[in-house]
Amino acid sequence: MEMIWSYLKKYKIAVAAALLLTLLELGVELVQPLLIARIIDDGILQEDLGTVLFWGGWLLVFSLAAFAAGIINSFYAAHASMSTGHDLRSAVFRKVQTLAAGSFQRFAVSSLLTRVTNDVIQIQNTIFMSLRIMLRAPLLVAGSVIMAFFVQWQLALILFTTVPLLSIVLIIIVRRAAGMFSRVQQAVDQVNHTAEENLTAVRLVKTFVRRKHESKKFHSAAGQLQDRTVRTMRMVEITMPLILLVMNGSIMAVLWFGTAGVTGGAMSVGEVVAVINYVTRMTGALSIFSMIIIIFSRAKASAARISSVLEEESTELPRGSGRQNDIPGEVVFRDVTFTYPEMPEPVLSRVSFSVSPGSRTAVLGAAGSGKTTLIQMIPKLLLPDEGEVVIDGVPASEWKTESLRAAIGYVPQEAVLFSGTIADNLRWGREDASEEEMVQALKDAQIYGAVQELPDGLYTRVGQRGINLSGGQKQRISIARALIRDPSILLLDDSTSALDTHTEKKLLDVIESRQCTVLMITQKLASAETADQIVLLEDGMVEAAGTDDELARSSRLYRAVKESQEGGGMYA
Amino acid sequence: MRNSLKEPFQYPKIDTEPPEQAKRRADDWKGTLRRLGAYLLVHKKKLVLTLLMVALSSSMALLGPLIVGLSIDELLVNENTGILLPALAGLAAVYVLHSVSVYLQHYWMLGAAQKTIYTLRTDFFDHLQLLPVGFFDKRRHGELMSRMTNDMDNISNTLNTSVIQLGQSLLTLGGVLVVMLYLSPMLTAVTLFIVPAMYFGMKWITRRTGPLFKAQQSRLGDMTGYTQETLNGQQLIQAYSQEERVMASFNDYSRSYRLAAFWAQTISGFIPKLMNMLNNAGFAVIAGVGGILALQGYITVGVIVIFAEYARQFTRPLNDLANQFNVLLSAIAGAERVFTMMDEPKEETRASKRMKRPVRGAVSFEHVTFAYEQETIIDDVTFRAEPGEMIAFAGPTGAGKTTLISLLARFYEPASGSILLDGEPISGYGMEELRGEMAFVLQDSYLFAGSIRENIRYGRLDASDEEVEAAAEAADAGRFIRRLPDGYETKLGSGGSGISQGQKQLLSIARALLADPAVLVLDEATSSIDTITELHIQRALKRLMKGRTSIVIAHRLNTIRRADTIVVLEEGRVVEQGSHDELIQQSGSYQAMIQSQQEGKAEMA
Repeated sequence: MEMIWSYLKKYKIAVAAALLLTLLELGVELVQPLLIARIIDDGILQEDLGTVLFWGGWLLVFSLAAFAAGIINSFYAAHASMSTGHDLRSAVFRKVQTLAAGSFQRFAVSSLLTRVTNDVIQIQNTIFMSLRIMLRAPLLVAGSVIMAFFVQWQLALILFTTVPLLSIVLIIIVRRAAGMFSRVQQAVDQVNHTAEENLTAVRLVKTFVRRKHESKKFHSAAGQLQDRTVRTMRMVEITMPLILLVMNGSIMAVLWFGTAGVTGGAMSVGEVVAVINYVTRMTGALSIFSMIIIIFSRAKASAARISSVLEEESTELPRGSGRQNDIPGEVVFRDVTFTYPEMPEPVLSRVSFSVSPGSRTAVLGAAGSGKTTLIQMIPKLLLPDEGEVVIDGVPASEWKTESLRAAIGYVPQEAVLFSGTIADNLRWGREDASEEEMVQALKDAQIYGAVQELPDGLYTRVGQRGINLSGGQKQRISIARALIRDPSILLLDDSTSALDTHTEKKLLDVIESRQCTVLMITQKLASAETADQIVLLEDGMVEAAGTDDELARSSRLYRAVKESQEGGGMYA
Repeated sequence: MRNSLKEPFQYPKIDTEPPEQAKRRADDWKGTLRRLGAYLLVHKKKLVLTLLMVALSSSMALLGPLIVGLSIDELLVNENTGILLPALAGLAAVYVLHSVSVYLQHYWMLGAAQKTIYTLRTDFFDHLQLLPVGFFDKRRHGELMSRMTNDMDNISNTLNTSVIQLGQSLLTLGGVLVVMLYLSPMLTAVTLFIVPAMYFGMKWITRRTGPLFKAQQSRLGDMTGYTQETLNGQQLIQAYSQEERVMASFNDYSRSYRLAAFWAQTISGFIPKLMNMLNNAGFAVIAGVGGILALQGYITVGVIVIFAEYARQFTRPLNDLANQFNVLLSAIAGAERVFTMMDEPKEETRASKRMKRPVRGAVSFEHVTFAYEQETIIDDVTFRAEPGEMIAFAGPTGAGKTTLISLLARFYEPASGSILLDGEPISGYGMEELRGEMAFVLQDSYLFAGSIRENIRYGRLDASDEEVEAAAEAADAGRFIRRLPDGYETKLGSGGSGISQGQKQLLSIARALLADPAVLVLDEATSSIDTITELHIQRALKRLMKGRTSIVIAHRLNTIRRADTIVVLEEGRVVEQGSHDELIQQSGSYQAMIQSQQEGKAEMA
């Protein structure tokens, strides 16, 4: 909750203005009975129409003033709450962008999504409500207790016992409800999660005819959400009847002691009636509490969920696009060991090899032998547990992340394109790329011909909301995105799998002419054999490293790989 | 300070929709409301119980003060203390009944409301399952998810309270009106001036908030869509140092949502203020007019005092009604977004004929043409695979190989030509019946969050543990699975995170093998798998392919040379087809591809 305040602080003037305006409204509400008394006592009873109209006129003026105050309050309250919501959202999103791979994976994507959207909305709505009604309820309650005390202090003592009692019970309910609401939000995560998986795997679900199976999964997630929501809300709904019971009980107590007091002559009838009136008023004000408790405990749960993201450790955020792609590009792995969290065995153990600037290294190995992990160490997407990755003589850990990444063109295994045009996607590689540069990069990536044939060429929309490109086409656009950076180090994670040999050769020729250091994961010997160096991984260790000739002589595994590709075809 | 004070009034105006469109939409609102109502009305029993409790709690709320008033007269004024205990007992009963009925009205209403939300949410999801693949190509997933959670949340909040509030307000309103008419018809008439004022005020407000809520929800959907996409590409964003740019776009989305939300909240916020003002003004008018009437002797002062109090009670339920109406608009904005999706046309699943069993697995394409967004992707493709044969597609990327498979799976329908299974057009079969006879290993080998065992079992839900493990062994996945600490029970993250791409492909193959289909379709099934492992799989596949038709796409040409027919595609057209030996003899494209693959090494050196 302190977290919310630290974001709300920025709008403290708007908050103060909103609260002040509610006070004004409240003031009018309190003056009103006095004015009416005047109208009745001085006007109607005295048969003086002038006085009636005079005070009636003032009553209208005050009403309009309160109305104006209320309208302006609306602006301030909406501004403070929606802007705090925006800032909070922005902060969570920023944090998510800078999360290190490890912490990112701990929160599922679907859960982060709920936190950025749904949880922030809960909070912003709570702030809005608070700025409009929250002050009212406590002020009315406090005011009524004090007034009752002045009227008849003995009877008011009853309120001094019931109100604190009620407060304690309400606090307990808020605490419990916050815990329960956080489980509701978890169920929202689960709904999002099931839906996201289903949407991503729509083709898979259809081909395996798993509609009913998926439906069952979703029904169970939605059912859990329903169940938790109902249970939580039913718990919270106890507050209203409870408040009624306690306050009505107080009325009975006032009657009991009042009767004794009046008969004993210690109190007047008027006093007892007045105290009962105040208790009734308090009940009205307290009933707002029931609503406040619901939104408050829900906000508390959401705030905790947001805080847990904000408190997560993040990597430094690279600023600007510090272009520094003219480094020589030497890469050295020294005894690098890395273990994924919650995995018993290291995925890389004591990996050492070096890549000289401008050379091409092919990384080979079975599925799960650590190839992708190895490549991700270079742009610091993962940091070694032991050992170090040294780039141009400087350990990666000492490199400024932005400078290092600016020198690297990374093509991941799965070609991820974002919604937007092909040009937008290419500009990821370099923001200020001109059209000619884009065309050149596409040509180099051997995809320009296909792009030209698309309805809007370079400006065709792709990604989740655009045209469908084939796997190989996406792959090559993502290669173009890397090439356009003119990188010193190019990392290709099995990115040429969909290319035929001829095209791949042309691509490698282009890269050769660019004189950048290349590390490429590949399954194809054709592209490995011609590399300056081949690193063969087995179970996270370097089985052999050297040229094709050297490995053919020294490594049995390499010879086996060779045989597997030269021998007969699949299903032979 | 001065700037901070001005800020709230500096939000730009927001473009919602033009008035004539808004008017047409007003009619839709009624339809949406009726549809939502139909969902709620399923729970008639609970609703009736809720309304009974509302009636009970409303009457108890009136009865309580009445007893207190009478008791005060008897106890304090007449000093008849003998009735103290009976009076208190009566009060206690009323109060307990009041609290219990208040609790129960919420208890039942919550049950009905949340059950309704559950049904609506699952109906929405189930409908999505029936939509064609093309529908999903054009939408961001996060946007659809926002409808399933954020919009539902809006509806849920409304349903939780609206019925109770509505019932309560109408009851109170009716009761108070009766008393007022009894006290003074003339003053009642005067008080009713509030109603037209309220009507016009509310009309002014809701004409704005309706479209604003709609804009707010759709902007929230866009923001969610963008967020989901960037979350999935987080690693790439980091590698390309695009954090600032992504954040800037996110902030644009967030600001655009804020603008809609700001105006929606601000203007909705006018409602209670308007009602308060009308309430106070009503008071003044009653006092003024009442005063004049009293002076002329039409009514007594006492009537004015009591009447003023009742007029207050009259406006409170009106206020609640106005608020509820607005909340309802926000729910309708959400419901409309949900129903629009539920009106999307389903993929045709009805079968015009039964499939003849057992399926032998002859697959043929006859002059099939297909265009996507005006671009011809498949152009007059004809080929034929006899039962048990292996057919392979070769050709450069983008030639249409995967599209042919999508057409076979009926993800899309061809523009002309026909696709036959066992000599019958597949368009006549039920979609699910057709797909049930085939197993696909698709290009992106998606795995679900859950254990490895569950993921393989996705291929055949009733497979035993032994069958699952046998399929894994056949796909050469057993080796790596057994080395994991939890073996087959190892939990994978969403999308299969936790294992490598190649391992995912092994599991996808295992999953397809388990399905034991008449037709097996492999689209680049082994592209990320090293060639040694691939050899292992090949042996297993060779056994498994006996007796079933298989359709294979592979870039490594040596993996398809034993196919019975190789279909070479270029730009959506079949340029040649035949066996490996036949094609080599033709010295066409295929022969050139083979040659380039062999020369590759030499050329590259």
